Amino acid sequence: MVGWLSGARKPSPVAERRAEAVTGGWAAPRPPGRAGAAHDAGILIDLGEAHPSGHGMLRLRLRLEADRITYAEPVIGFMHRGAEKLFEVRDFRQIIMLANRHDWLGAFTSELGVALAAERLAGIDVPVRAVWARTLLAELNRILSHLAFLSSYPPEIAGRPGVTDAARSAFTARETIQAAMEEISGGRMHYMFTRIGGIKEDIPAGWAGRAQAAVASVRSHLPAIGTVVREDAVFRERTSGTGAISAGQVSQFGISGPAARASGVDFDLRRDEPYLAYPDLAGTLRVVTGSRGDCLARFECLLGQLEVSLDLADAAATGLARLPHGPVAARLPKVLKVPEGEVYVWIEGPLGLNGYYLVSRGGKTPWRLKLRTASFSNLQVLTEILVGARVSELVPILGSLFFVVGDVDR
Amino acid sequence: MGAPVSDPGGGLPAPGHGVYDDSQWASTGDLPPRSRGVIALLEENCTACMLCARECPDWCIYISSHKEPVPTEPSGAGRGRPRVRNALDRFAIDFSLCMYCGICVEVCPYDALFWAPDFSYAERDIAGLTHERAQLREWVGTVPPPPAIDPGTGGR
Repeated sequence: MVGWLSGARKPSPVAERRAEAVTGGWAAPRPPGRAGAAHDAGILIDLGEAHPSGHGMLRLRLRLEADRITYAEPVIGFMHRGAEKLFEVRDFRQIIMLANRHDWLGAFTSELGVALAAERLAGIDVPVRAVWARTLLAELNRILSHLAFLSSYPPEIAGRPGVTDAARSAFTARETIQAAMEEISGGRMHYMFTRIGGIKEDIPAGWAGRAQAAVASVRSHLPAIGTVVREDAVFRERTSGTGAISAGQVSQFGISGPAARASGVDFDLRRDEPYLAYPDLAGTLRVVTGSRGDCLARFECLLGQLEVSLDLADAAATGLARLPHGPVAARLPKVLKVPEGEVYVWIEGPLGLNGYYLVSRGGKTPWRLKLRTASFSNLQVLTEILVGARVSELVPILGSLFFVVGDVDR
Repeated sequence: MGAPVSDPGGGLPAPGHGVYDDSQWASTGDLPPRSRGVIALLEENCTACMLCARECPDWCIYISSHKEPVPTEPSGAGRGRPRVRNALDRFAIDFSLCMYCGICVEVCPYDALFWAPDFSYAERDIAGLTHERAQLREWVGTVPPPPAIDPGTGGR
């Protein structure tokens, strides 16, 4: 066995310092009197934040004065897979398989962004039926993502009367939408249903009606789901006035989505630069904004947006049912090559702005495909809003920023 | 298939037959026909053309084959060159790598690959997740018929 693993040799002060630097000085001090062979014997396996079993967890480095945070640094990148580099050696269908993984709560939106970028650069016209189906699926996916953030509460809240019911209602509601998504796409999380030029397969008979029924069922659960945010005294007390983000910080950090709108930033691409069928849904779409920018405002914004998405999904299903006969995808060559050029496409994802900068040199793989994800930008503001907060405020602040760690690290 | 891992509790079924009992939570009968649970291989249709293995984004399909001469027709004796066709030696999918994207099913030009809804094939040993052709053939029995299509849709 290698010397440093067996513990036979006392580590030099330099090595000890280096180990401290690697762990950021967080390594537990060696218990006195146990520095002998028994303590150090065998191979040390570190189940730290870099271990695959800890996927989806965020590491924060905090400096404290008593329980007051004086310095905060999110340590990110443990789930970095180099997705953008992997895109460069995959054709556009294979990219959709990868692109729908980094934000596992908003898989359909991520598929959509890649397809819209490629279609815009290649000048592909997507059949109207696919446009409406995509709009409906995007809103159903948004509902799923919002419900996920409205269904998990910390233990001291989760046990309170009404909260358990709310979380259970949100889970039941998610299940009904997931059933609709699985029926059309075959997947519950990674739908793999978008194709360049449209959608993968025809719509099953009667599916739009069943999707509408699922939306109605979620709507019936809304009062229960909203109880926590609207009524629960402890939840409201712990989230109001804490973790406030100013409109200035929103533009400084590039915060988007419900986290930005809660600070009064009235911006939503579905209205301000409409894509898919959103121009036709302008009468249904309302942009929900807040003003205080605190944790509670963000949760209220998310809840309001959930209602809007239910209306949009309902309207999109109605619109889809009214369309004349037609295909669900454009006819394209078997080997799709995107002509030389570059394009930037941005869309309104469940967590905020998703940007896709696509550079093609005429090949069947992109020369470069840069992702701009909402989670990455939204998370950065932690360095400012955590300073001055108490440790007990960490949970509401982290829970109300609405990010997915895979979407940060990708 | 790897050697079974010793099980302290004993009484586990043999690898490859669903170590965990999922029946209490869900049954495949409730799942829609498009549900992407497991990939079935109808090997009679497979020509070992390798399209699926090449298109697979993470290369988890293993195929090997050899050429076999096709018996020539007696009437055409002496005419034409001898024909050969591919005969499959191995077809395996490693479900520990599979990303369940379905590109292989989509690209197969000979209708040899299908999705089946079964998802309860967890294993104690990761090697057991590589399903060889016999096991992939067994899944064919569980492939549901495709759903009826919305009359408004006019194909691709």
